[in-house]
Amino acid sequence: MNYTLVYYLTNTVGMIKINNLNFGYSKQKPLFKNMSMQLSNGHIYGLLGKNGAGKSSLLKNLAGLVYAQSGTLEVMGFNPTKRQPALLEQICFIPEEFYLPSVKIDAYVKANAPFYKNFNHGYLFELLKEFDIPANNKLIDMSYGQKKKFIIAFGLATEAKLVIMDEPTNGLDIPSKAQFRKIMASALTDDRCIIISTHQVRDLDNLIDTVIMLDENDVALKASVEEITNKLTFKKVKELDESIIYAEASLSGYNAVMPNYHNEDSKLDMELLFNAILAEKIKFKPLFN
Amino acid sequence: MNNTFNINRFGLLLKRQWLDFGKIYLISLLVVAGVLIGFYSYYIPSIERRTDNFDYDGNLDLRFRYGIFLILGFLFTSTVASGYFSILRQKSRAILELMTPASVTEKLLSGILYTALVSLTGYLIIFYIVDLGFVKYLNSNIDAFRIANPKVPEAQSITYQMFSDKNYREYLEYFFAIPFLITSIFLLGSVYFNKFHYIKTAISVMIFSGIAIYVIYKAGGILTKNMVNISHRSAHNDRDLAFLMILLVTSALTLIFWTIAYIRLKEKEV
Repeated sequence: MNYTLVYYLTNTVGMIKINNLNFGYSKQKPLFKNMSMQLSNGHIYGLLGKNGAGKSSLLKNLAGLVYAQSGTLEVMGFNPTKRQPALLEQICFIPEEFYLPSVKIDAYVKANAPFYKNFNHGYLFELLKEFDIPANNKLIDMSYGQKKKFIIAFGLATEAKLVIMDEPTNGLDIPSKAQFRKIMASALTDDRCIIISTHQVRDLDNLIDTVIMLDENDVALKASVEEITNKLTFKKVKELDESIIYAEASLSGYNAVMPNYHNEDSKLDMELLFNAILAEKIKFKPLFN
Repeated sequence: MNNTFNINRFGLLLKRQWLDFGKIYLISLLVVAGVLIGFYSYYIPSIERRTDNFDYDGNLDLRFRYGIFLILGFLFTSTVASGYFSILRQKSRAILELMTPASVTEKLLSGILYTALVSLTGYLIIFYIVDLGFVKYLNSNIDAFRIANPKVPEAQSITYQMFSDKNYREYLEYFFAIPFLITSIFLLGSVYFNKFHYIKTAISVMIFSGIAIYVIYKAGGILTKNMVNISHRSAHNDRDLAFLMILLVTSALTLIFWTIAYIRLKEKEV
């Protein structure tokens, strides 16, 4: 195995290093301006942002599917745009729109699994069982949700160290979403980095440990759930006061976000946080810098 | 790990590509066989028809097969080449292809192998089988044709004719690179254009060929203006040199187009 890769897999360091990344589909409309960030193994990152904020584009940059205009991007010590097999076999990319050929599951596995040295056949069949997908199914005959569950199962069975998922819960029914959360939680290991992009924030409840929020060409927030709940408190209040940074009207009063001056325990309300950051970015900035 | 070329990985890639490419390729070969059988059935000398069965030399008239061989061969190999990387225009398929853990070199070589070697070999085999079948049929009925022309010799398969005829053999090798040139152009077109690859590639070829012919013609005129040919070489030598140039230029162009296809594949974004 490549020495760079061994180093990155055996050390808890920045698995992904993004420095001053400038990217856009046209020079007039940049999507990322001087974006910098580091992501480490052993975490499940939730990538959030409005439509068009660049969630999918950031994931594509990480996978080497698009080229940045300037800046550097390193994934496990590799430049992803070079699309080297040593890196590709360590990336599991589950796109929002995917293609599966018209073959049976075992034919697909037989043709694709050998590319991944660590492919775990036992784990694949465990996952297929968990997702209720018969192993002798023809891929083309399966429903969209079943296909999605299959590519998630296949991707995780590759034992890739970087798992990138773009809207993975789209098309999954309610029980499957719960299965997905359970499987993803168990898939996290110390040497693995999982990045999940979604606009359905409730699907990531209790799953992610770090929130990355994109807005206005940059990272608006990157903080662990622990850090967020240490610094902010999320609660229902009857009346608004000056300490509240952001609030949304609810049936019994307001759902509010405020600084956690008294070290109160509260559960992160991701949807509220998302709206709060978008509405009051300036107020939140000093708290997370 | 060798990130440029690994024979095991290349083998895996060929197997994997066959899953998608193989079905289309085999169906296309069946279509080609059907079209060939149709053309042969229509144009082949007929026992019922007493006239128009013989060429100027008094042989069974099978001259139609040269045109069919060239036209159908061009259409088949160019269509196969044009379809190979066209899957990259679909976002979902492109992601799957580009994320497959194989190098760009291996992905391109797999494309070359399937579009240039496998498609060409498949076509030649199908053509040979169909041609041989009809030749055998004609020869089994040769007595019926000898009623109209008692001296008519048995028909020969196109392959036998090519390789047994000194004139064909002498110049065949100079055109060796042309099928590869055609597939390389259409393979490049399949990775270069996002829509209507075949048409766009064909139009590009026409435009560039037109420009190249015009430039060569004009440059030749300017360079040889007010000059006389004082070469002592024979016309035969000049002709051999021209054929050699055809071989060299077509080979060089093929390599250039494959190289550009490599660069385009490497730069492909989704």
